[in-house]
Amino acid sequence: MARGKLVVVHPERKAQRALHRLVGAAGAPVEIADKLEAAAIDDSTIVITDAALAPSLTRPPARAWIAVPSEGLAPVDAATMSALLAGGWDHVIAHPMPVLAEELLATVQKLLRRDVFGLEKYLTWSADVRSYTLEDAQDRDAVVAELAREVIMCGLPDRISSMVSVIADELLANAIYAAPVDDSGTRTRAADPRDKVRALSGRDAVTLRWATDARYVALEIRDRYGSIDPTAIAKRLSVAQTSEGGMGLPLAYACCNQLVLDVAPGKLTEIVALLDVRFKPTDLSRAGSFHVFRGEAP
Amino acid sequence: MRLDVQVAGNRVTLAGRIDDTASLAELPGRVPAGEIVIDTEGVTFVNSIGMREWIRLLRALRDSGRKVRLERVADVLMTQMNLIAELAGAVAISSFHAQYVCPACGAETQPVVEVTGSLTVMPALPCPECGSAMELGDFPERYLTIFKA
Repeated sequence: MARGKLVVVHPERKAQRALHRLVGAAGAPVEIADKLEAAAIDDSTIVITDAALAPSLTRPPARAWIAVPSEGLAPVDAATMSALLAGGWDHVIAHPMPVLAEELLATVQKLLRRDVFGLEKYLTWSADVRSYTLEDAQDRDAVVAELAREVIMCGLPDRISSMVSVIADELLANAIYAAPVDDSGTRTRAADPRDKVRALSGRDAVTLRWATDARYVALEIRDRYGSIDPTAIAKRLSVAQTSEGGMGLPLAYACCNQLVLDVAPGKLTEIVALLDVRFKPTDLSRAGSFHVFRGEAP
Repeated sequence: MRLDVQVAGNRVTLAGRIDDTASLAELPGRVPAGEIVIDTEGVTFVNSIGMREWIRLLRALRDSGRKVRLERVADVLMTQMNLIAELAGAVAISSFHAQYVCPACGAETQPVVEVTGSLTVMPALPCPECGSAMELGDFPERYLTIFKA
């Protein structure tokens, strides 16, 4: 059964070939088009196009749109990244090769297989996944401290440990305080004092998993509310940060190379943050990649 | 480690975590009138709530007309301050820590960068292990944006 169709839209033949090779590995039919008007796009189509061209496109309905750095030789610049986030793009890959290949293939396969949850999709088989379940809101500091200790034990530098700590702290705080909603959508825990003891059981359960495969450090934080608003988050990431309110996710985004929001609305939110530990930050894009996947909770 | 605040004359030394538990609102009243020098070399962690508290402190000092100078700003605080638009050109910084890498031996370290005049490029610094010239390990704007008015 066809799982969907991939369409590469790019005016340059060399870029078409490069992108065809990358997404062809997914095993789904790939069509190539010079321009959007020449592409056959429907609601089963996953469209891959150049990030530099993307902001000016009027996008017809499709299964998904993925903006990539053309042939993959240079990263997407920060201004283009901001424009695409503000414009509602769910998938923007910012980094050049070889990261582009890994990220694009994982993105396409998650969409084709309609299987979106789990950090394993970004790691090799050899990664050892570790898991924590927070039993109380006050466990956050201890879990972050333990995570930082384990990252250092893996031989990773203090810089990575520091960024992992910030990301984990912010994503856990988001899951503990921002995620819980009542039937009317009111965020019931947003104003809770951060020093208040509160058991995290049942629907309030929050988990953190992490692993490294010596390419990436991947963090995965889950809550059972599925209340995150990816469009609002993307817009918030697209603008300069101010000091008042809503800094948590932008800070986590600034500390990672790829931020992935996986959502089963009303049931599950999973945020995966990836740090590339192979390259210097300056070898990658200034802005991190961003993805939103919507799917069924496992 | 929670945030440890030491005040000695006009000099304030912060160490530990600037997070949800950190309260800096009372700090201006504990320091004699005149310029305040804040040393944050010992700060190891800053989250978004802590950053908000830190900015409120800087804003309160500025609004009260007091001069503030930041010394040996921790790398984690420096990179986060550079994300905040309102701080660009608004803070006097005399030195800060920055992430450097040595292409020769692979060492990663956070030496102190002294600010003399207007800082527009990050300096090359010697590796403490092998003496080779180190490179900045991150994008320059993650340290320099705050110096632009």
